[in-house]
Amino acid sequence: MSFIELKNINKKYKGNEKNSVTDFNLNIEEKEFIAFVGPSGCGKSTTLRMIAGFEDITSGDLVIGGQRMNETAPAERGISMVFQNYALYPHMTVEKNISYGLKNMKVPAEEIKKKVDWAVDILGLTEYRYCKPKNLSGGQRQRVALGRAIVKNQKLFLMDEPLSNLDAKLRVSMRNEISQLHRKLGSTTIYVTHDQVEAMTMADRIVIMKDGVIQQVGKPMELYEHPDNKFVAGFIGSPQMNFYDVRVDGNCIIFTDGSRQKLSDSVIDKLKGYDSVIMGIRGEDLKFDEQNLGLFADSLHKAAINNTEIMGNENNLYFEFGGITSVARVSKYEVSQIGDQVDFVFMPHKMHFFDKNTEKTIVSAQ
Amino acid sequence: MLTKRQKRNNRILAAVMLAASLFFLFPVIWMLANSFKPDAAITADMNSMRAFVPPALNGDFFSNYVTILTNTRFVRYMCNTLFYAAVLIVLGVIVNGLAGYALAKINFPFKDRWLMIIMLLMIVPMETIITIHFLFIAKLGLLNTVVGYVLPMIVNPFNIFLFRQVFVSLPDDVYEAAQLDHCSPIKYFFTMVLPMSQSVVATVSVFTFLNVWNDYLWPSLVFTSSDLLTAQIGLNAITSNDNTTTGQTLAVITMVTIPVILIYSFFSKQIVEGVVSTGSKEG
Ligand SMILES: Nc1ncnc2c1ncn2[C@@H]1O[C@H](COP(=O)(O)OP(=O)(O)OP(=O)(O)O)[C@@H](O)[C@H]1O
Ligand SMILES: [Mg+2]
Repeated sequence: MSFIELKNINKKYKGNEKNSVTDFNLNIEEKEFIAFVGPSGCGKSTTLRMIAGFEDITSGDLVIGGQRMNETAPAERGISMVFQNYALYPHMTVEKNISYGLKNMKVPAEEIKKKVDWAVDILGLTEYRYCKPKNLSGGQRQRVALGRAIVKNQKLFLMDEPLSNLDAKLRVSMRNEISQLHRKLGSTTIYVTHDQVEAMTMADRIVIMKDGVIQQVGKPMELYEHPDNKFVAGFIGSPQMNFYDVRVDGNCIIFTDGSRQKLSDSVIDKLKGYDSVIMGIRGEDLKFDEQNLGLFADSLHKAAINNTEIMGNENNLYFEFGGITSVARVSKYEVSQIGDQVDFVFMPHKMHFFDKNTEKTIVSAQ
Repeated sequence: MLTKRQKRNNRILAAVMLAASLFFLFPVIWMLANSFKPDAAITADMNSMRAFVPPALNGDFFSNYVTILTNTRFVRYMCNTLFYAAVLIVLGVIVNGLAGYALAKINFPFKDRWLMIIMLLMIVPMETIITIHFLFIAKLGLLNTVVGYVLPMIVNPFNIFLFRQVFVSLPDDVYEAAQLDHCSPIKYFFTMVLPMSQSVVATVSVFTFLNVWNDYLWPSLVFTSSDLLTAQIGLNAITSNDNTTTGQTLAVITMVTIPVILIYSFFSKQIVEGVVSTGSKEG
């Protein structure tokens, strides 16, 4: 039995016509770091708040540690939560904020002090111990919120976009701190974010949602390499995967601009019965180097670079191909200028094929 | 940046305001100056600028005040009033605060209607319902008791509305965090909501104090026993006594007026803040 089991959870808010969360099924093991990702309004927060007990569960069962918790008060569920807007007690010092819950739980004063000392220390808040939240920066505030969560020794941490109010640099460093904290404490964590990079870098497993429905659950690389559908393929990875509308013709696919791409026999086999499909391929699987051009010379394509994004370590090249603006991701040694005419190939085994109607994956990359 | 012209306009405005406030201050200065004089001096100074100048500081300077404080029960009346104000501040903050909190944060049927009704009550003047209060208190046999005086004064629709407006913008996630910290709803109200809303608590306290201090009608109906009188009623009792001199009358009035002026000058910023913040957008 898993530590947390969400069985057929549905949520319909009063006054809404549609479910906000539909048939949510998920098992979470102890010590796992789970990320919920998805676009705005897909029901991530709603699901998290149902687990916390701040929203009623319309139907389905929530089981934590073997006990059904649907009707249990939030405080009795054994959870800690970190909120997007910190939710600190503004009139209390850092120390009081962190110790408040312990005091209410009638923990002996000595032990409280020990715990606060420990939390303040590992979070680097020692010199702010007697400050009020309004005198702290965003990152420090979120650390206080983390402190408040970790001193209670709860088995389950819930975090709802805890880093979204921080600037980019701080977000990266806090990301590391949270990951390290998770490794140190080993508490099961559910982390809500709409940032796929956060999900990819931090999570053991990712739950991708759209319109209240789980699209796929899996390890970060699983989702990246083997997306179950076009939505997952497009949501994970930056720059976004290139999607081409193509016709299947014998052992080739034909792009809308007439270019042809030869496919391997095994792929052709799986595409049998499809007239037209969507082909998806990530920017890094478009190759411009001599070796690959030679290897896959039967399907050479031409690109006129019309935009570049220079990132330093790697660069994005944009060009019109197959009816869309395609993007390729190349190393910093393969510099191209705007206006360059270059040849490129698709890595054949890195192509994904999606059903045009259902958008489900027919063949994913090897 | 202010332009030169704006600066000049500001200066002119300030001068006009200063003149206007002096104009309104004249009676107060007159009262203060004459409260230190024997009646003969008041009469003698009446037609000159000396009417606005206090007498020389000598042994008799405070004699009007000393007479009032020693020969009348004025101190007692002051203490009564302070006590009533304290009780009403505490009860008023709790009762109106809880009502305002419910209207701001708790869902219950016809919530918006309730708020409408309370806002309508704000425009009903106290005087129109005071007979009902009086009959009610009389029926309960509470005339001439502190409870009888305090009871109808606790609930104040305006204060409920003030609290509600401030509480509406309190973040919900703090309440959720407190729940996870094993904080009960009542405890949350007292240890979180009120401290987070100090400004409105101060505003309501000041309003309540001024209400109690300045109220004449209600205490004069409820109280007949001299032990329970408030400063305003006591003032009337003292000044209508034939033995009280004009100077002594002015001394009593000064003592009744000064707390009001002090409170306004100390809390003016908070009062403005408290009232202004209630107009802020709803969260
Ligand atoms: N209190 C509420 N009452 C009614 N509908 C709600 C409520 N909260 C959320 N919803 C609806 O439920 C759906 C899911 O909302 P939710 O807040 O869970 O999205 P989210 O994935 O957390 O999005 P975001 O990334 O913007 O935070 C949305 O369509 C939203 O309109
Ligand atoms: Mg959300």
